[in-house]
Amino acid sequence: MNKKQNLIDALQAITWFQELSKEHFEKIAEISHIVEVNKDDTLFSEGDKEDYLYIVLEGRIAIEIYSPFRGRLRIYTAEPLEIVGWSSVTPVIRQRTASTRAVLDSRLIAIDAQILRKFGDDDPELGYIIMRRMANVVAGRLMVTRLQLLDLFGHPTEDQ
Amino acid sequence: MKPTNAIPTTAHRAEYLLAPYWAKLKEITQETDDTATYWFEFEDEDLRKKYQFGHGQFNMLYLPGYGEAAISISSDPEKPELIGHTIRFVGNVTRAVSRLRVGQSIGMRGPFGTTWPIEAYKNHDVVITAGGIGLAPLRPVIYHILNHRDDYDRVVILYGARTPKDLLYIQEYSKWEDQGIEVIPTVDRADENWGGQVGVVPMLFYRLRFDNEKTVVFSCGPEIMMRFVVFEGLARRIAPEKIYLSMERNMKCGQGFCGHCQLGPYFICKDGPVYRFDQLEPYFNLEDL
Amino acid sequence: MVDKTLNLGTTVAIKKEKLLQLILTLTEKGYQPIGPCLKDGVISYEPIVSIDALPQGFSSEQEKGHYRVKPGNHKRYFDITPGPHTWKKFLFPPRTQLFKAHLLNGHWQETLEKEETPRYALIGVRPCESAAIQIQDKVFIREDFSDPIYAKRRENLLIVTVNCLHPSPTCFCTSMNTGPKAQGGFDLSLTELDDVFLVELGSDAGIAVMQQIEWEPASAFLHQIAQQGFKEAEDAIIRQIDNLESVPNMLLSNLEHPYWNEVGQRCMSCTSCTQVCPTCFCWDVEDSTDLNGKYTRRERVWDSCFNLAYSTQAGGNTRPSTKSRYRQWLTHKMGSWVHQFDSLGCVGCGRCVTWCPAKIDITEEIKTFQDVTA
Repeated sequence: MNKKQNLIDALQAITWFQELSKEHFEKIAEISHIVEVNKDDTLFSEGDKEDYLYIVLEGRIAIEIYSPFRGRLRIYTAEPLEIVGWSSVTPVIRQRTASTRAVLDSRLIAIDAQILRKFGDDDPELGYIIMRRMANVVAGRLMVTRLQLLDLFGHPTEDQ
Repeated sequence: MKPTNAIPTTAHRAEYLLAPYWAKLKEITQETDDTATYWFEFEDEDLRKKYQFGHGQFNMLYLPGYGEAAISISSDPEKPELIGHTIRFVGNVTRAVSRLRVGQSIGMRGPFGTTWPIEAYKNHDVVITAGGIGLAPLRPVIYHILNHRDDYDRVVILYGARTPKDLLYIQEYSKWEDQGIEVIPTVDRADENWGGQVGVVPMLFYRLRFDNEKTVVFSCGPEIMMRFVVFEGLARRIAPEKIYLSMERNMKCGQGFCGHCQLGPYFICKDGPVYRFDQLEPYFNLEDL
Repeated sequence: MVDKTLNLGTTVAIKKEKLLQLILTLTEKGYQPIGPCLKDGVISYEPIVSIDALPQGFSSEQEKGHYRVKPGNHKRYFDITPGPHTWKKFLFPPRTQLFKAHLLNGHWQETLEKEETPRYALIGVRPCESAAIQIQDKVFIREDFSDPIYAKRRENLLIVTVNCLHPSPTCFCTSMNTGPKAQGGFDLSLTELDDVFLVELGSDAGIAVMQQIEWEPASAFLHQIAQQGFKEAEDAIIRQIDNLESVPNMLLSNLEHPYWNEVGQRCMSCTSCTQVCPTCFCWDVEDSTDLNGKYTRRERVWDSCFNLAYSTQAGGNTRPSTKSRYRQWLTHKMGSWVHQFDSLGCVGCGRCVTWCPAKIDITEEIKTFQDVTA
């Protein structure tokens, strides 16, 4: 009972959950649970089947990609209220595209992605709300990634 | 166009164009692999006592045979006898500076340029967004805030570099935090030993919650970084007059004569480098201007 | 009783041959007279010692991308209109040594030499050119910083303007309010009529010179001929810029108009326009050392915003395309200059029209911009 209340409180702290109708809110709350990860523990790895959509409540989650010779490269950190693992909801990608690891002790909401996708199939209105939210997340990440790609702080190529 | 907050240029010979005064190198602080802070003292004792500079101003540093470079002053304006320049070694002149040894001299003229008007924003929240070497011209502002902490409310520094090794002044962050300044560094990429954030400075700014009515933003770094900070600042309704940027162009004379540093109608050396965004707006972001 | 006093603002007349006396008087007073000479097929400004050096009887033939100096059927000394040279090189030399330094016991020691500032008397300055000097005065002599080289030469300068009665097709001084008659900015101002020069007194220095020369009061008849000549000169001006006051704003508000691409394609970025322009002021610094690195010298040299290196620093070039550099030149000269120095940077001398090998005509381009942005 206590766990359930914690979950409801956590969900209600997130803005876009507040905008859901009571019915939609309860449906999603049913398929969510709270996850705790310790510092340096892995949340999921590259290649894993995507099972949960995560929302960071506390702490910091690093997104990393492994490359031979270079090791694990940390390319992004997700802060509280940010979504981790959007690939579980978008239809095309079927495996995790990056690994995640907790940089600090963290608490996240995990939402069962398969059931969430089915909700969308059955209830187009809810499906649209979820997809719109995901589109925002992906758009934001894309733009930020582009800026990172520019290597703005790198050495200029031309000598004076 | 009168420059804002201009400080008189004391190290300047009016009768001889571009002739420098000489300053001795007293100390070198290695900051990162390719950046170091050089601490200079004018050889002329009178000048050493007279010299003053404002937050964000720069000197023209001269290495005979190599040329001059416009370098921002990164030390405390309330201690102007020892002048610190944080220099990144990227061109002919700056690489020549990197070969200087303590005790050797360099030519110096200045200070030039407009200043960050930090004194005009008492009781405000101050958000400093910087990238790479861009933190150097903002460090004088940080010193001012440390020296007058009660004059300012919330102070946040959002600072980004390529990797953790490239973060400037990292050993000073805890001192700043002790004075109630929030220091949020971020990097483009890191390994697992980095416990801080990974992502670009604009990302930090998006996440920041602030009161748009009482916030002033000082930003210095690559133009693209400043552009996104400005977009977000305006979207969150910070008045354009409260967003300050530091611009950079090729400089030769530092005094508004040679024409090289022009951006639209502005001479960056005398009408800048610090600008209010509303002044810059018609010319900011235009390709190849 | 003829009034024999010389007052500021009055006009007197001197016989043509007294021009030599003018040159000699200036020399006696310690000036080096500089005047137009025919050299290498163009009108060049050189030191002169007698009136024989002047291009008497010659006229300039100028059009877009075309310049010739040809004998005309007249005997006037100053009938020629501006050639590729400007007077700015006497105040702002193309190459100046700023200082030297040498390395002694690990320390650099600079040698700051006070140059002997020359005293030039410029003879034959057209009204547009004297307007250009006034414009450059505002660039080089400012409240915050002054260029000592320019300032000292300017203090020693004496200007004898010659009003224009026979402008070239490339001239457009009337649109820029700089001619054909000089409205100030001179010590003496000459108007060349058939038998006499009318001389207007513009300063005490000018009066001091005139006191050594045989002059007569200028009759009303002579004044009338001069007036008629100015009217004819104004009517003869072909090129013009309309709505001048609206030009700066028009250009600065249309920095991304597609027409810039069109002009940018024709421009060759050759820098000719900036070299012949009497108001262009950009310069660069050259540092040179001996092979041992013990002696070094700093020089200031003319530069041009069309040069690639102009906008290049470690990190790249901020104006890599010709279009961006052409845009910088035009929007500076006809736009930003107003914000920087309270006047336009152009005096309508027409040199850039004559000397552009791509035949880009500034008056045409302004007109086109006005049309496409209307």
